[in-house]
Amino acid sequence: MTSEVLRLDGISKRFLTVVALEDVSFDLRRGEVHAVCGENGAGKSTLMNVISGQVQPDGGRMAYKGSAARFGSAREAQAAGIAMIHQELNLVPHLTVAENIYLAREPRIGCFIDRPRLRADARRVLARLRVDIDPDAMVGALSVASRQMVEIAKALSLDAEVLIMDEPTSSLTQSETEHLFTVIHELKRAGVGVVYISHRLEEMPCIVDRVTVLRDGRRVSTQDLTAITVDELVEQMVGRALENKFPPRTSTPTDEVLLSAHGLARRGAFEDIHFEVRRGEILGFAGLLGAGRTEVARAIFGADPLDRGTVRLGGRELRIRSPRHAIRHGIAYLSEDRKAHGLAIDMALAPNVTMANLAAVAGRLGFIRFDEEELVASRYVDALDIRTPTARQVVRLLSGGNQQKVVIAKWLFRDSRVLFFDEPTRGIDVGAKYAIHRLLDELAARGIGVVLISSELPEILGMTDRVAVFCRGRLAAVLETRGTSQEAIMRHASGRGVKH
Amino acid sequence: MRRHPTRSSDRRRDLIQKFAALAGLVALTIVFSIVSQSFFSVTNALTVALQTTSIAYLGIGATCVIITGGIDLSVGAILALAGVIAALAVKAGAPVGVGMFAGVLVGVACGGVNGLCVTLLKLPPFIATLGMMLLARGVALQITDAKAVGGLGESFAELGNGSLFRVVRVGSDGFPDVPFPGIPYPVLVMVVLAIAVAVLLGRTTLGRHIYAVGSNREAARLSGVNVPVVTLFTYVLSGALAGLTGCVLASRLVTAQPSEGVMYELDAIAAAVIGGTSLTGGVGTISGTVIGAFVIGILRNGLNMGGVSAFIQQIFIGLVILLTVWIDQMRHRR
Repeated sequence: MTSEVLRLDGISKRFLTVVALEDVSFDLRRGEVHAVCGENGAGKSTLMNVISGQVQPDGGRMAYKGSAARFGSAREAQAAGIAMIHQELNLVPHLTVAENIYLAREPRIGCFIDRPRLRADARRVLARLRVDIDPDAMVGALSVASRQMVEIAKALSLDAEVLIMDEPTSSLTQSETEHLFTVIHELKRAGVGVVYISHRLEEMPCIVDRVTVLRDGRRVSTQDLTAITVDELVEQMVGRALENKFPPRTSTPTDEVLLSAHGLARRGAFEDIHFEVRRGEILGFAGLLGAGRTEVARAIFGADPLDRGTVRLGGRELRIRSPRHAIRHGIAYLSEDRKAHGLAIDMALAPNVTMANLAAVAGRLGFIRFDEEELVASRYVDALDIRTPTARQVVRLLSGGNQQKVVIAKWLFRDSRVLFFDEPTRGIDVGAKYAIHRLLDELAARGIGVVLISSELPEILGMTDRVAVFCRGRLAAVLETRGTSQEAIMRHASGRGVKH
Repeated sequence: MRRHPTRSSDRRRDLIQKFAALAGLVALTIVFSIVSQSFFSVTNALTVALQTTSIAYLGIGATCVIITGGIDLSVGAILALAGVIAALAVKAGAPVGVGMFAGVLVGVACGGVNGLCVTLLKLPPFIATLGMMLLARGVALQITDAKAVGGLGESFAELGNGSLFRVVRVGSDGFPDVPFPGIPYPVLVMVVLAIAVAVLLGRTTLGRHIYAVGSNREAARLSGVNVPVVTLFTYVLSGALAGLTGCVLASRLVTAQPSEGVMYELDAIAAAVIGGTSLTGGVGTISGTVIGAFVIGILRNGLNMGGVSAFIQQIFIGLVILLTVWIDQMRHRR
């Protein structure tokens, strides 16, 4: 009896003419965390969908617990003990935690839900994860991290033996991530096999046992994580050696203040925020989730109201009432949630690029000059290396990295003076990440004030000149990036005066 | 050179989008032509066109509103109020043109209130326009005492009953002979409106913003689109077109009925949906809606000529809506 719980042999899958998977083999042991790495479009999602029964492979064999298996739907896979936790969590916001965990499997007395048992069962499952979540809380009111725990609890309640986690840490803070890792360790001890997908290679040593690299739908390698370095891993993913994780900085900060904020406050979100953005610099916004970074940027941009404080742009005081108003003054904000706030996902690429500056490609009377619009769009497709067949491609069909580039193109076409980038590289593959980082530097070099909001400290350290650290709605410190460290930033971000 | 193929492929996709409705339209025409000899004639084509105008006017407005992700349930009531106001104004001595303009203005005002309720008070469009539906109908019934307003004179009838290029010859028997009945004014208005709004939606910044708001309201707002104004505009347009419909209908009957236009809002929405407009917003075309309006118009006309009862007609139209939208869904799922 081996410890192997799942084995895939020579799995292939095509979508129309596109090869998504070609002869991919994969195995998972009980009690191990097996990471799957690869750039966007490498086939990770398809492979996970095959395992979880959402996609039927064209070829290859799959064995689960020693016998051949073929799952016709996610439901069948789930019933067999394979659960998947999606990046976009699949919970019902208007139901309670307990109701979500046992959705469609509620304990019943006759045709009535047995509420006491429902609650008790949920409490027991949550206790196994050692999380402090009220089973009666509404899921919609929970933080992302807590919702994720509810998802995991749901999987556990299904007696899952295989758990697939897609980018589980992408929207978690450092401490939440650490907590998730303890939970994963618990799962390992209980003999659950975990398939783990993440772009954050740095955090893998904490939990991952083995790693499989996919590239262009093929398996490049499977090996113990201890046998490989992060650099080698990246090399295998992109198929070439990457010298630097971050591009060299070419811009030089000046003393000229582009934008300054004085005593900004919004009830329940942040207060007493002072900072300056200088010409030629990249200013970082660091801090834990909910520390007020996004909220400050949104308020300056006019997306949310500001209760107190003043914003000066080029020395002139601004009273910004709406994003329209901010944009007219040359302030731009790229949302962290590009699908919900950044893109009209069912519209074509070109209209998305011109959305913030449509008048520039329209004649008098507001008639759009389509030739010019397409020209503009193709110019940015080339400049940003957006992988798309045409400028008329629907944005939904582009990969995450390319979608993000479309959002960036929109704001480049709008010639802004100060740009707020909110988590511009979240969920994006290594190659596209590098390109976006290079672009940030170029913008700064062109004299644009760049603010980079990021939860990834290496990115903050690698890309910024100064970093403003937020802690619980206040500015804890503004540090020179050159003289600081991850530890120092974390110390300010968590509000601890002393290092522990 | 690069532009050309993408453009034509765009157009092709657009055509495929309307395929279900268009195929239905052609199929209906063929079936009715076989069943009834008098169906396939110039005279009947013009009759169908004339009967379709109300649905088309309202459908064009409904399309714009639905593209933004909204809905307008009040157009049937607004058209009754507008017709009544126009008729009362003319009765009170106003010239016909002024009276009808007043009718359209009433539509604009009602649409404006709808738009403000949606944008300023942030009421769900369904509720805002449901309220307006009751309100406008109530006012129309109250000011007329629920009685029709008639005796409006010949010039009031001109808009609804007149036509362009009408050919009349006096036959040898002394009776007038009409080889070509002319293109009714309401049909001309429909053509002009359809082209104007299609151009507005497809070629102008305002049209683009209408699609952007429906596709992703928040992304549009954060891109600097004036979402409230764009949304307001669509409701005002829908109201104005309802006002116009009211005037045309009153003119056709030379009588303004306060109970006119009941359930017309649903015909308008049906026309838009048959033509491929998505109720979730962001998708829809005027050409599709016009096709949808004609599907309903031809179905009514053909079934009428075949002596099918009004009740059975409803059943057919209901089935057509389900069928076309189902085909549309299938295509999207692919």
